[in-house]
Amino acid sequence: MLGFALGLIATLLHAALVFAAAPLVAGVVGKIRAWALGRRGAPVWQPYLQLYKLLRKSTLVPETATELFALWPVACFLATAVAMLLVPSFCTGMLTAPLGDFITLIGLFAIARAATMLGGMETGFGFGGAGAGREVLFSIFAEAALLVALLCFVLLAHGATVDGIAVAFDTQHIGISVSLGFALAALLAVALTETGRIPTDNPSGHLELAMVHEAMLLEYSGRFLLLFEYAAMLRLLLWMDLIGAIFIPFRLGQAGDVFSWPGGLLLWVLKIGAMAVVLPLFEVSTAKMRVFRVPEFLGAAMLLGFLASVFLFVAARIGS
Amino acid sequence: MHLQPDALSWLFLGILLPQVVASAVAGMRGSVTFWVFGLGMALALLAGDAFTLIFGFELMSAASWLLVLRGDERPATFYVTMAIFSGACLIPAVFLPASSVAFVLILLGTGAKAGLAPLHAWLPKAHPAPPAGVSALMSGGMVKVALYVLIRYAFIILAPAAQPWWGVVLIAAGLASVLIGALRAMLEVELKTVLACSTVEHVGLIAVGLGVALRAKAMGDETLEGLGLQAALLCIVAHALFKPLLFLGAGEVKHAVGTTSLNWLGGLVRGMPRLGGLMLLGAACMAALPLGAGFAPEFLLLHAIIGAAATGGILARLFFTAALAILGLGAALALGAAVRLFGMGFLGRPRSLQAAAADDIRGAPLMAMGLLAVLILPVALLPGLVLGTMTPVLLLLAPQAALPPLAYAPLSLAVLALLLAAALGFVLQRWGVRGTREVAGWNGGFGAPPPWLPFGDPATQPSATGLAEPVARAIGRGVLARDMADPTEAWLVAPLLQLYRRLVRLAERIRRATIRERLAFVFGALVVFLLALGLGEGG
Repeated sequence: MLGFALGLIATLLHAALVFAAAPLVAGVVGKIRAWALGRRGAPVWQPYLQLYKLLRKSTLVPETATELFALWPVACFLATAVAMLLVPSFCTGMLTAPLGDFITLIGLFAIARAATMLGGMETGFGFGGAGAGREVLFSIFAEAALLVALLCFVLLAHGATVDGIAVAFDTQHIGISVSLGFALAALLAVALTETGRIPTDNPSGHLELAMVHEAMLLEYSGRFLLLFEYAAMLRLLLWMDLIGAIFIPFRLGQAGDVFSWPGGLLLWVLKIGAMAVVLPLFEVSTAKMRVFRVPEFLGAAMLLGFLASVFLFVAARIGS
Repeated sequence: MHLQPDALSWLFLGILLPQVVASAVAGMRGSVTFWVFGLGMALALLAGDAFTLIFGFELMSAASWLLVLRGDERPATFYVTMAIFSGACLIPAVFLPASSVAFVLILLGTGAKAGLAPLHAWLPKAHPAPPAGVSALMSGGMVKVALYVLIRYAFIILAPAAQPWWGVVLIAAGLASVLIGALRAMLEVELKTVLACSTVEHVGLIAVGLGVALRAKAMGDETLEGLGLQAALLCIVAHALFKPLLFLGAGEVKHAVGTTSLNWLGGLVRGMPRLGGLMLLGAACMAALPLGAGFAPEFLLLHAIIGAAATGGILARLFFTAALAILGLGAALALGAAVRLFGMGFLGRPRSLQAAAADDIRGAPLMAMGLLAVLILPVALLPGLVLGTMTPVLLLLAPQAALPPLAYAPLSLAVLALLLAAALGFVLQRWGVRGTREVAGWNGGFGAPPPWLPFGDPATQPSATGLAEPVARAIGRGVLARDMADPTEAWLVAPLLQLYRRLVRLAERIRRATIRERLAFVFGALVVFLLALGLGEGG
């Protein structure tokens, strides 16, 4: 009973934290990016103001949109938000942990992606369709690379839930292996693509021809745009959580042990903070790719994921 | 004639029944050939001996050929050739003792009928040809009957001689089907052809599941056996519900707009909200999205492949890792195909006047599609329960299989989503500005269209071909043949056709030989014969 209550509190705390912190993370990333480019940058709380502004603005619907225009932002937000609840942040063993199978997570990402693409096609204007076509191309390789990288984690952790993988990597002596390094590289490439960052896409780009994710949202405004933007912020934090839980799981808290929470919380803030610093530094040091270079980039990620598993097989062969 | 149904037969009959009812309600009930088609399928499923099975199977083939012929003559010849090939493989196979030869013949015979690569090239041509009700039953039912024969022979009748490589062959064929089917579904423009290509993909997924189970059964791995079979059977059930739904919907689109080319549709949700909703449900299942009927089988299948990659020799592990990558590609392509189908056909601006003026479905077709949609819901939301009711079948096919509970819980996900939706609704109601205002779209700053083009110039809207262009450019040219044709068509069917033409020309040449050539041939043959005789005597 106590365990359940603590699990519930931990889950609610997790939900409150991630939903509140997602815009802040986006703000920090934007601020550091501006600094790295030699600008002053907007304050870190700018995304909150942005979301509030969208909440208070009236929502315009294009004449050529169908009745389903409002469905896509809601579906995109809900899928991302449900996925957000399944990935551990500061502690493992939340009530939602058994639901958090990695493949379910991939499916939820797919819903969010499908909803965004359909939103882009909704009004039948050129940029939305172009963006959707590119998104399909990227997702094909990203999904394959993600599945192959997942194989490596499942082989090491003997479980497929994100929670189980985090616990296994925290408690077992996995050690630093070449396999995990390759898997990390593969996962980072997929994460950059899924969250629409440089080098595959530019979230702050203003040229419609070069847009991918933003191109599909061009006709949205007000509340609907708010949902898409908030979902994008959540997705960024979600991938940071995911990479943090898998690759830096040390001293994660336990939902059943209240005294482990503060340590887990502190570490979570440090992890996310470090990633929020590294991401913009990486972004300003590279250039955006041509659209048809991205499959090569993700194909390389897939091969790295493949190599990660091959090294594991060879290691198992030598070990036995 | 001897009927002896068991749990497996009942499962497949249960799958068949809703489709037959839906197709009949949707407008096929007046056709005698349609009922003979259904009777053939039922006979093949209920058969207690090899003769009845073959009789029912061939009755089904013949009736479906007539139905295809009535729709479109061009693919009918190709179709009947494949049906004859299938029969020529199956008839000897069912009378052979349990052996690898029998399995290979069964696999060729049923694979040709189910559309398993490399024998699938006829399916995207033949399935769209007849009226929608027949297309629905061919994709949802006939393909399943072929898989039923494969399952019955591979898992029950030929089980004593089972070898692990049987499963590997099945997995390899399935993976090729998944990749080619999903890629072509992404690139094709005709709505019904897209659906038929997606059928090839789903047959591939089922074959991969069956292959994993077959290999695990021969190797004595109970967990994998259970997972693979669960994935395959659940995929069969789900596909038999959503694919007929989509095909019937395509028929209604054809009825209302006069074409099923995605490049001429667009904006159909506006005039056909009911059809749009039903097609959205079908497309979500086809794309294997969570909370749809297609996700649970995909989930089980990926877990089965991951499990298979975790054990065994290094070559097998590499094979399954590659299989995982191909399934990932296939899943994302299927999502793209479903999004493209719905986005191009039902969203956006109409591309023709007929599409702008389409009337919604009502009456019998609505009832038929509604029936299938209602049946999809339990499969989508309670896959664990559906798997539970299939336990007798699983135990019949694999008595030792371990059947772990399903780790994917759509109801819990739905509850989470509902809670979040409630919170979202509260926030938007409490602090948000309500209501929406309809305005001209921004459209990159272009001006409003002239009054005589109420939906703007259709040519300025991205087409289905254009949407698929990046994929066609990046991988279509690597996997498919020239002009995005099917690879087996270019590299298997075309050479065979060329060989056949050459043989015909040779036969014609012999038939037209002059009397001198004939006499010379007889004389030459005599000399050769005598020489051979003389050399033989001498030696």
